Amino acid sequence: MAATRRLQKELGDIRQSGMKSFRDIHVDETNILTWQGLIVPDSPPYNKGAFKIEINFPAEYPFKPPKINFKTKIYHPNIDEKGQVCLPIISAENWKPATKTDQVIQALVALVNEPEPEHPLRADLAEEFLRDRKKFSKNAEEYTKKHSEKRPAD
Amino acid sequence: MNYVILCFKNFIHRMLSLFSFGSKSVTNDLDIFIKTNTGNTISVSLDSSWDIRNVKEIVAPKLGFQPDEVKIIFAGKELKDNITLSECDLGQRSVLHAVTSKKKAKVIPIHDTVIEEEDLGSKPLNETLQDADFYNSRDDKVPLDLSKGKVNFYVYCPTCKSLKSGKLRVRCETCRSGAFTVYEDPQNWDDVLKHKQIPGYCENDLCPSKKSGRNGEFNFAAFFFKCSEHTSLGEEDEAVPLYLIKTNLREVSCLACGDICNPVIVFPCKDGHVTCLDCFRQYCSVRLSERQFWQHPDYGYTLACPTGCPDSFIEEVHHFRLLSDAQYAQYQKFATEEFVLRSGGVLCPQPGCGMGILIDEGCKKVACVNGCGYVFCRDCLQGYHIGACSSNEENIDSASCSYNVDPSKAANARWDEASKVAIKVLTKPCPKCRTPTERDGGCMHMVCTRAGCEFHWCWICQGPWTRECMASHWFD
Repeated sequence: MAATRRLQKELGDIRQSGMKSFRDIHVDETNILTWQGLIVPDSPPYNKGAFKIEINFPAEYPFKPPKINFKTKIYHPNIDEKGQVCLPIISAENWKPATKTDQVIQALVALVNEPEPEHPLRADLAEEFLRDRKKFSKNAEEYTKKHSEKRPAD
Repeated sequence: MNYVILCFKNFIHRMLSLFSFGSKSVTNDLDIFIKTNTGNTISVSLDSSWDIRNVKEIVAPKLGFQPDEVKIIFAGKELKDNITLSECDLGQRSVLHAVTSKKKAKVIPIHDTVIEEEDLGSKPLNETLQDADFYNSRDDKVPLDLSKGKVNFYVYCPTCKSLKSGKLRVRCETCRSGAFTVYEDPQNWDDVLKHKQIPGYCENDLCPSKKSGRNGEFNFAAFFFKCSEHTSLGEEDEAVPLYLIKTNLREVSCLACGDICNPVIVFPCKDGHVTCLDCFRQYCSVRLSERQFWQHPDYGYTLACPTGCPDSFIEEVHHFRLLSDAQYAQYQKFATEEFVLRSGGVLCPQPGCGMGILIDEGCKKVACVNGCGYVFCRDCLQGYHIGACSSNEENIDSASCSYNVDPSKAANARWDEASKVAIKVLTKPCPKCRTPTERDGGCMHMVCTRAGCEFHWCWICQGPWTRECMASHWFD
């Protein structure tokens, strides 16, 4: 199966590269199609915590894109209450089989660090982000402190 | 009775062949047909270790000539005397062409070089074509520094019904005779696939190009392929070249699984993206299951490079023969349906029929003539009716002759009612192509998933997606 072979390779590469912003990768040995990991943003207001995500690869991977879900609550215009995220690189229209998972993760980390209020999933947060950045940052920081995971020590 | 005669005949044959070849031991026996330029065909048994000189010695007396007066032509080349048959990649029941060389070979100038008479005999085509050369396009500036191998051609064989390696063969473009010699080898796929690329000389005396007073020296070669696997079933037994499949000499890894496989598909895009055959099959079946092939105006129902490169559609749709039989049947069905729809036709709405029907403009009443016979309305695809289409599907005008049935029982006993309801409740038609569309989450901004439509529309307004939709009800 193409998906399994490719994912094993990608997982090995990502673990070896020692990415700082995506770590603690857990993959069930019996099911390489589901990955869990920790997003560690470095821009405020999200640099006060870390966020668990789950990446689900379809059996048809890489001819169908993976899906990403946040398991940790986050105050972010592009991520909704259910943890769904709208990431153009993995949308059905833009997906290319040559796109590697580490590119997807980098795009995700970039989106977390720099919200894109022009393409929001939560219109209310996008509006707050655009109209009153101070208030938004304060709310987001409080929310992060309250709900997010502990950041790894190093 | 007939059977007895047949058995007897066979026995006599065997005895005769035993006697005739008693002195010469034939080990690797090849049954070969020899065709002459006067239209005769003789059948001979040859040993693959023999050389062309031996063949001439056997064939010439049967034709009434001296061995020196005969040329042996195979796959566009006059074969030299010292070539052995095993070098020629001959299969059982292959055809060799024997022509008398009474005409003095002429000196023919091509590209400022001159082929002298002595040079005319040559090695067979399969020995002279080099793989690395062949895969370099003409404008490739960097020559491949690889150990040269012979060209490996891949074909879809309609007899074996699968991907096989193929053998390149040559005949005259005008008379389709195989007694044809090329003046130069094809250098790339364009030379092989396009017409009038490689000039040559036709040895067939009956070729129309000689009668019409045209310059008989300049005819063009027509290339075709045979399956390497099965015994040739005659000169019409051809295979389709799958020219995107190549031997992976450069050891490029598959863009999908990352493995280095052999052979591979090289997509016709600028970058020449590579996938292995397994990933190509998976790519096709994912696209097929979502009906995401494209109806290309010239090539038909096809796919482009999975990376989305521009101008990368697969022209030879026989490449989709790599799919399973069931999938290929589905591919053909979708292709036909898509063609009918694009030509302004309709598909019969009767479950299990789906016949494509091309309709006259302005005619609302459509009959499924060669299919199930259903007569329906072109606009609403319900049974034919006079007057405007009714949006209420429950209009039964046969109430007068109905039985008295408990309405609630009748409501539960309706064929595919559940799916009709589901489609009605869960879907809205694309405002452009009317494809029923389900919204399973996300925002109100819809993009039609039907290949070729891709209309951006608003789930709420059921019209084109506008700035206003974005402002007022993007996430309702």
